Amino acid sequence: MAAVIGTDLVTITINDVDIQVPKGELIVESVKRLGLEIPIFCYHPRMKPVGMCRMCLVEVGFKQPDGSVRKMPKPQAGCTLPASDGMVVFTDTEMVHKDRKGVLEFLLINHPLDCPICDRGGECPLQNNTVFYGPSTSRYIEIKRHLPKAFPLSKYVTLDLERCIQCGRCVRFTEEISGDSQLAFRFRGAQMQPSTFQLLDFESKFSGNVIEICPVGALTSAKYRFRARPWDLETKPSICLECSNGCNVWFDHRASKFVRINGRTNEAVNEEWTCDQGKFGHDWYNDPRRLIQPLIRAEAPELTESAGEAPQAFRPARWADAYDVIAPRFQSQGSRVGVLAGSKISNEGYFLLQKLVREQMKSNNLDHRWTNHLTPREARLEHKFGVNPRQFEIAEIESFSSILVFGGSLADDLPIVFLRVRKAWFQNGCKVVVASSQATDVDSFAHLSLIYRPGSEAALAAGLLHLLAPQTPGVARWTPEAIQEATGVPAAKLREAAEALRSPGMGIVTSHEMLNKPKGPDALEVLAGLAHQVGGRFSVFSCAGNDQGAADLGVLPDTVPGGARVESPGLDTRAILGAAAEGQLDALWLAGCNPFELWPDRDLVTRALENVPFLVVQDSLETEAMAYASVVLPMEAPAEQDGTYTNCEGRVQRLRKVIEAPGDAKEAWRTYQELSLRLHPQAPLFNPSEVLGEISAQVPGYPGPNHEGLLGEGVVVPELGSNPDFSGLESTLGRL
Amino acid sequence: MSELLQIGAVNERPKPPRAEDLNLRFSDRAVAELEALKTHYPNWKACILPGLWIAQREYGGFLSGEAIAEVAHRLQRSYAEVEGVATFYSMYNTAHVPGKHKIEVCTCLTCQVCGAYPLWEHLKAKLGIGHGETTADGMFTLEEVECLNACDRAPLIQVGDQYIGPLDTAGVDRLLDELRGRSDSTVVQMADVVVQVHLREPERNPT
Ligand code: SF4
Ligand code: FES
Ligand code: FES
Repeated sequence: MAAVIGTDLVTITINDVDIQVPKGELIVESVKRLGLEIPIFCYHPRMKPVGMCRMCLVEVGFKQPDGSVRKMPKPQAGCTLPASDGMVVFTDTEMVHKDRKGVLEFLLINHPLDCPICDRGGECPLQNNTVFYGPSTSRYIEIKRHLPKAFPLSKYVTLDLERCIQCGRCVRFTEEISGDSQLAFRFRGAQMQPSTFQLLDFESKFSGNVIEICPVGALTSAKYRFRARPWDLETKPSICLECSNGCNVWFDHRASKFVRINGRTNEAVNEEWTCDQGKFGHDWYNDPRRLIQPLIRAEAPELTESAGEAPQAFRPARWADAYDVIAPRFQSQGSRVGVLAGSKISNEGYFLLQKLVREQMKSNNLDHRWTNHLTPREARLEHKFGVNPRQFEIAEIESFSSILVFGGSLADDLPIVFLRVRKAWFQNGCKVVVASSQATDVDSFAHLSLIYRPGSEAALAAGLLHLLAPQTPGVARWTPEAIQEATGVPAAKLREAAEALRSPGMGIVTSHEMLNKPKGPDALEVLAGLAHQVGGRFSVFSCAGNDQGAADLGVLPDTVPGGARVESPGLDTRAILGAAAEGQLDALWLAGCNPFELWPDRDLVTRALENVPFLVVQDSLETEAMAYASVVLPMEAPAEQDGTYTNCEGRVQRLRKVIEAPGDAKEAWRTYQELSLRLHPQAPLFNPSEVLGEISAQVPGYPGPNHEGLLGEGVVVPELGSNPDFSGLESTLGRL
Repeated sequence: MSELLQIGAVNERPKPPRAEDLNLRFSDRAVAELEALKTHYPNWKACILPGLWIAQREYGGFLSGEAIAEVAHRLQRSYAEVEGVATFYSMYNTAHVPGKHKIEVCTCLTCQVCGAYPLWEHLKAKLGIGHGETTADGMFTLEEVECLNACDRAPLIQVGDQYIGPLDTAGVDRLLDELRGRSDSTVVQMADVVVQVHLREPERNPT
């Protein structure tokens, strides 16, 4: 692996240039220090070298005492050769050139050379290496082998066996990185083929990555197949908002249409990986159901002149008309209105939304949370215990010596965090203990899996606290035997888990998914206390898109941007839906959210939307909620606008507009800004950077628009709580 | 593997079996043997090869998908990984279901010089089958193999764990008659021999 093995330096000579490199560094990496390149296929800096393709051959010798160089008789594979003192490497000799030509000629014997119809053509390492290092003609005139083409390994990944050069990258990815080991080489010799078990479905949560790391067009994306040639695509950096990890991606597009997503390197977040949810989850950008202009229900009283139209039908409208209809319904209506938000709005949008609601609607009925528990401000960890709920960044997970993964299914809730936890185990031997009410993907590498009865999560957390920090007041009664009774986890197993975790470098990884569990909030309190007591670190990560941004920027009934308390808190999500259902609200605004998908109680949602007299649905796509809407506002999707987004670890990342929004769709922040201006004339904010400037002035830790971190890996918003005081934990433990 | 993909068609594959849907067929003895073998190695991955031998015996000489899945399940490896191992080695029967007896005829250099091909042709004519094929009664499978590393006994045939050679056509006929008279399968018997070789004395024949 590229990782430096030790800190000792050795001196090696590469093409007559002396250079110091860490001892044991692979030669393929060392040459990069001189700006040189060794062609490769099977080597991948994030995986163990295997030396399968022989593309990276170099000549190697050793300095003799008399100063001469004695070369090894045969070339060596640079990708498996660790640097040692006095090593002399040649990457540019006649012999090396001949070797490369030979290797490529061999590889091309079995390669169909169907580049003109291959998706990879134009961005293919085999093509590139052949052009740079290969022979211009082949001596092979016999008939090539023929194998199945376009075999669907899964609904995402298509295998073209003829093109495979048997480098093993895909196989190693599923073994080393994603850990599902879904691919393996079957058969041997010329018949060797990467495939799934019995060619059945390639069931992986990270299968899309193998498409990107395959050095030929053997693994292609079923969705992208034959859709475009790489040189016809434009690409721009983007951020994925399909979950809260905030993966950095390349957003490939053509004529303002989304085409595909590729992973983009950000060492602090996703390294270079993506999950399938994100990689294949962006098709909705091109959905014919995208909303492209404001719609007003014709029956709305303001539009009586359109009497000829069928009642109930929407009529397309200008934004100005839509604002005219909306404004009086919300202005200064206080507790008679409510606003619910989804998770894909930019920080700028959330900030202006809460401003609009608080200042112009004079309301605090505002929420972005869709979990079962809607923890009020005083019960949240940062306020109740003064403890920071996010004590480490994703990349820091690698440094833990033991990790407790608590609740939910990490690979589904936080795929990229899952990969880091696995990496901590795979590369650094970190001991992982997973506690969940079900089997999860973490089990495959966990030191121990504690499967507790649903609903007993808090008790299990208390049991671990008992074993690891027995001095905690109130924890005495949670003995392993009592835990066995309460959770079904055997006492001995719990003890073993505690021993595995007992280390100063312990990390606890959990997520907002806990807020859907009956005793989830209590469990979170206990876990935060546990980390505090043993000197470990604890993070509860948000799970959806820009949820963290929404929370930081006060899209909450009881908290303003920056975390200060609201004088008279408004209604939370459940209460807003409830009030609407009871006819206690005059108007409701759904900002980029579809309650039918987000709220488990469908009945309540139906009653709420039916009974609220005036409903604004602001979204990018047609949703079920539109059937109840009075006004529909089209919203731009994230990649269609400038904005910043905060991921689960609190990293603010900037997304620059990639493509044009369809039709009249408008950025969420601009919609709120324009409506605010109508209700209360003031100096306008002209662009998202100005809004970000305001945010950074009001919210501690948020970067200003010119922060240089926004150009790179993003800016992590620092801790909130700094004065932990866990005296309240005793009462939590008492009521479990 | 010859299905063609229609562009635009939903190309969902059948799913691999869930652990709970597996039809586990290892006998109690096989389970005990596998448990013993697990303790021989630093990890269960290393136990895949002997595990497959147990399966080859338990599943009557052929490593079907179910057999491979059972080994993978019992050793907590992925199905694909175990299948990859099984299909790599020619002594695991994964390509075709063998008959009761697998006759492996060496046709490598020494045996060829010493007359392997007349034997091979004789066997083919007598059994009416070719390389990799099995007689209709399921008795014999014929295979042409590479050097069996017993060139001093060329021409040589392997049946089960036995090397038989040097042989002439009359000897081959006697061998076939002898095999027809056997009640057990040499394919299964050989798998068992290999399993026993892997076990320590006290672990053999667990009750
Ligand atoms: S499919 Fe691609 S990545 Fe996998 S072994 Fe073949 S060439 Fe390598
Ligand atoms: S890159 Fe070194 S052998 Fe493949
Ligand atoms: S050639 Fe037949 S055993 Fe060696």
